Amino acid sequence: MKLVVLLIMITGLVVSCNNKPNESEEEHHGGHQTLQKKLEAMSVDSISYDVSTEEFFKDLKKVLAEVPDTEFEFYVPERSSMIKSFPCSNCHSKSLDELQKLGEEEMKKAHWNIKLKHADADVMECATCHNENNLDELKTITNKGISINHSYQLCGQCHSTQYKDWQGGAHGKRLGGWTPPRVVNSCVNCHDPHSPAFESKWPARLNTVKLKQQSSD
Amino acid sequence: MNNEIDKNESCRSGNCGCGKKEDGFDQTLNKTTDRRNMLKSLTAGLLTGAGLLNSSCSVTASDNKKEKKELEWEEYFKGNYQVMTDKEKEDTVKRLERLYELNNGTHANISSQEAQKDVLYGYAFNISKCQGYMDCVNACVQENNQDRDSQMQYIRIHEHENGQMNFELAEDDYYHEVPAQGHFYMGTQCFHCENPPCVEVCPVKATWKEKDGIVVIDYDWCIGCRYCMAACPYDGRRFNWATPQVPEEEVNEDQHYLGNRLRKKGVMEKCTFCIQRSRSGKNPACVEACPTGARIFGNLLDPNSDIRWVLANKKVFRLKEDLGTEPKFWYFMD
Repeated sequence: MKLVVLLIMITGLVVSCNNKPNESEEEHHGGHQTLQKKLEAMSVDSISYDVSTEEFFKDLKKVLAEVPDTEFEFYVPERSSMIKSFPCSNCHSKSLDELQKLGEEEMKKAHWNIKLKHADADVMECATCHNENNLDELKTITNKGISINHSYQLCGQCHSTQYKDWQGGAHGKRLGGWTPPRVVNSCVNCHDPHSPAFESKWPARLNTVKLKQQSSD
Repeated sequence: MNNEIDKNESCRSGNCGCGKKEDGFDQTLNKTTDRRNMLKSLTAGLLTGAGLLNSSCSVTASDNKKEKKELEWEEYFKGNYQVMTDKEKEDTVKRLERLYELNNGTHANISSQEAQKDVLYGYAFNISKCQGYMDCVNACVQENNQDRDSQMQYIRIHEHENGQMNFELAEDDYYHEVPAQGHFYMGTQCFHCENPPCVEVCPVKATWKEKDGIVVIDYDWCIGCRYCMAACPYDGRRFNWATPQVPEEEVNEDQHYLGNRLRKKGVMEKCTFCIQRSRSGKNPACVEACPTGARIFGNLLDPNSDIRWVLANKKVFRLKEDLGTEPKFWYFMD
């Protein structure tokens, strides 16, 4: 009697321990498949979205970003119309050197409230970014002109990591919605180029009532 | 003499057996009864009366009240949103909008917009950029009509000390200038897992994952057992212990049936990736509100989206990866 029971138990164990082939093995492999491969397998090449981002800011003037050595296609807000007294050459006919040689008193009259807090005096002064002879433009390290609408090219010379991240979408604020076309803030839309660091500030809310559901405390 | 008196009394009590019949008046209005029967008839009468008063057949209630009762009656018998036909979805949305109008006087737009084709939402959070401003929390509360009394928040911002990422040691209720020296900030909310434990444990299937990846709740089907709250490893789900109170002027009237429509006491709610916004192409309120651009949202199936670039080029990680929940919310640093 005991022998029969024992035999039944062993048979039961052996039968249930059979490795189920194929199905679970594939699933197992699927679990080990990297996220990239999974997403690539699921990706759809040309998706037609119902809504375009442009619906959300019809009156924003934008320009196509000039990023020639990349495959990115995105827009930034236009800058020249946002500066009150652009073009600068309307008032300033003297070159930058001459303006700087005018002395403290004269300098105080124009843009007196711009304090340069960007790196230090060894690295930055007015002429580092502004084109001496054409005050409407900026310039690269090699003295090539940069349009005021594409000032991001200037920033990207020193801040190349942030520049790459910004082109890809990991840095900066996207405008509108999540559907194409992609419109992002340019560097100067968030960072004041003369004093780019952000100050600390108070948070937007004070949690006065501790939620009953919070697990801590 | 005595006999006569006795007879009269027993006649009145209905037990006389003397054969003398009482007239109709006596039979109905002077009928004697015992305590048990009295209680039975009294209860039945009161219930019917109360029912009639409260129902749509009432003659004393106003037209508005009757319509409300009728709508609530129909709402009570509707099915789970997942099995509703399109017509039923339209009907329930209309009923809810009308009820809102009757209750509050203002108009609400409740949408039942379906998932867009070829869309799977993904979210990325840049830890280096978050400074702890909590603009996202404010925007979320406003957008999703959350209870103000208990300060319900779908999003939590955790202030960690540099050098570790232990959520049990993080401070969630800081109130000082941010960013604090020597600390960094991380935000958590529902991560909309691809393999959601909350969906698995719901005993009534009131929560499920939609085609575009958003995990949603049918507030009218939820029974409030909070099993999903126990199952979620990320503290993503919230429960309404009381009727949610939202000041009238702050109510967001662009609502979705599965999203920010007004909930009731005893049901679960959580982040829905602002389903009322994302399905119309807008970013969720938190993404829109963040001033530093620390939050990134997009379509995982679109190889040109920001979220795909982040996943391919930044060092990303997810929380509690070993649980196999496959959340669609990644963290990364600059």
